[in-house]
Amino acid sequence: MILQLVILIVKIILLIALLMLGFAYTTLFERRLLGFFQLRLGPNRVGPFGLMQPLADGLKMALKEDLMPALADKSVFRLAPVFSLFAALCVDAVIPFGAPIHLFGTTITLDIANPSIGLLIAFAFSSLGIYGIVLGGWASQNKYSLLGGIRASAQMISYELAMGLSVMGVLMLAHTANMEDIVLAQKAHGWFFVPEIIPFLIYYITAFAETNRTPFDLPEAESELVAGYHTEYSGFRFAMYYIAEYINMITVSGIAVTLFFGGWLGPSFLPPIVWFLLKVGVSMFVFVWVRATFPRFRYDKLMSFGWKYLVPAALIYFVATAAFVSGVI
Amino acid sequence: MVGIGILGVLAIAAAIGVITARQPVHSALYLVANLLSLALLYLDLKAEFLAAAQVIVYAGAIMVLFLFVVTLLTAGKEEHELPEDLPGQRATAGILSIIVGIVLVALAIKYPGTQLKVALPSGFGGLNSTGKLLWGPDFIYLVGVAIMLLTAALGVLVLNPPKRERLLERRLAAQKEHDATAETRKGAGKEGQGA
Repeated sequence: MILQLVILIVKIILLIALLMLGFAYTTLFERRLLGFFQLRLGPNRVGPFGLMQPLADGLKMALKEDLMPALADKSVFRLAPVFSLFAALCVDAVIPFGAPIHLFGTTITLDIANPSIGLLIAFAFSSLGIYGIVLGGWASQNKYSLLGGIRASAQMISYELAMGLSVMGVLMLAHTANMEDIVLAQKAHGWFFVPEIIPFLIYYITAFAETNRTPFDLPEAESELVAGYHTEYSGFRFAMYYIAEYINMITVSGIAVTLFFGGWLGPSFLPPIVWFLLKVGVSMFVFVWVRATFPRFRYDKLMSFGWKYLVPAALIYFVATAAFVSGVI
Repeated sequence: MVGIGILGVLAIAAAIGVITARQPVHSALYLVANLLSLALLYLDLKAEFLAAAQVIVYAGAIMVLFLFVVTLLTAGKEEHELPEDLPGQRATAGILSIIVGIVLVALAIKYPGTQLKVALPSGFGGLNSTGKLLWGPDFIYLVGVAIMLLTAALGVLVLNPPKRERLLERRLAAQKEHDATAETRKGAGKEGQGA
């Protein structure tokens, strides 16, 4: 009992440490890659290959003054970034990072919790992430922030629908909502991106919208809204939003890998957790690649794309998968 | 048991916050807290699916739409009390809540926790059992509710059609005005040159 508790606490600390490390080096990875895409070098001065850059950035963030707008709603202003970061961290609790390992005579699963409805728990937490953005935008009492927050709420609600519909096919093929069992089902039936290629694409597009990344970064469109919902934030509170955005990127990549690309499955010359992290890394590269390639959508186009194309397409494929699984066709 | 007690206190405190908060956004936030503590209560009953559905549907979607409207309407507004339209509604609500409270306490005294043993069906609130319930004998009711909701949504669209003609008129008027100002500017420019 006590051993289980200790293992759980160690796992939680390790997961948060891994995510923070992942966040720090994703920022460097992104800035270096964007540099290469734009035929320049990117940050390479701090340490070898710029590897100490995240440390310098973190130090800068921590030492900045923490500003509070005079008219802001103080309690909500303080609460909002915490909510964002909390929701971002919680989703990762149900993602299996690797095959169960045997240590000290017990079996340790590489996730914090393994509920039978893991996928739904992940969606529940990620749907809470919207609050941080909406509340931050509202509490700042600034027109640009408010517009950013309102855009975020409409955009994320709309795309969440298509996202939810797109993963239902996987749920039906695997006959379970447990993340671990979904991975194991892919061991038996092959990776699910083959039969579910269209839902995978829909999921991936909506993932960009859910994490507010280019080309769907309208909540913080700097050419129209200064910096959107986090215009008034500085110092560590801004850093919390920043961390939440990057951890969300890691999370949606992790879910995509788990659902469509076999999770930690892979040839045995590398340990399972390395396979998982490699696949997530590829997905992160695509995130940066898309950011370097596409311009931002216009807001009305974003909405009509989500509602008129993504939702119907996801719905049609959802019904088709249901018919296939139940043996109607 | 202790967990249920703590969650109950949390839920009631949040519910009181909803009606006492002066700022509508704070009210909405208290309601979110209330919904989340309800979800945790479901988890305490091992009703995992109900808990997740509660968070996804109520906290994750409906309350976000609430907040969307509330933030849009209350941004930059000073807090002030509006005069009440219905006189005496506070007194009525107070009396009613006292009556309900008395009934609840009486019930609690009559049936103490040890006597109250409701057998939950196996797998209560889980993914499979909820699915079997919804798609089993009760399917027809599910369809009925779905059609009712769809009718309501259609009704909103039919009752509030976009006023196309008026919009067109306004656009034409704006265009005319724009042309007129352009004319006068052109004229003014010419006069200036002539002078």
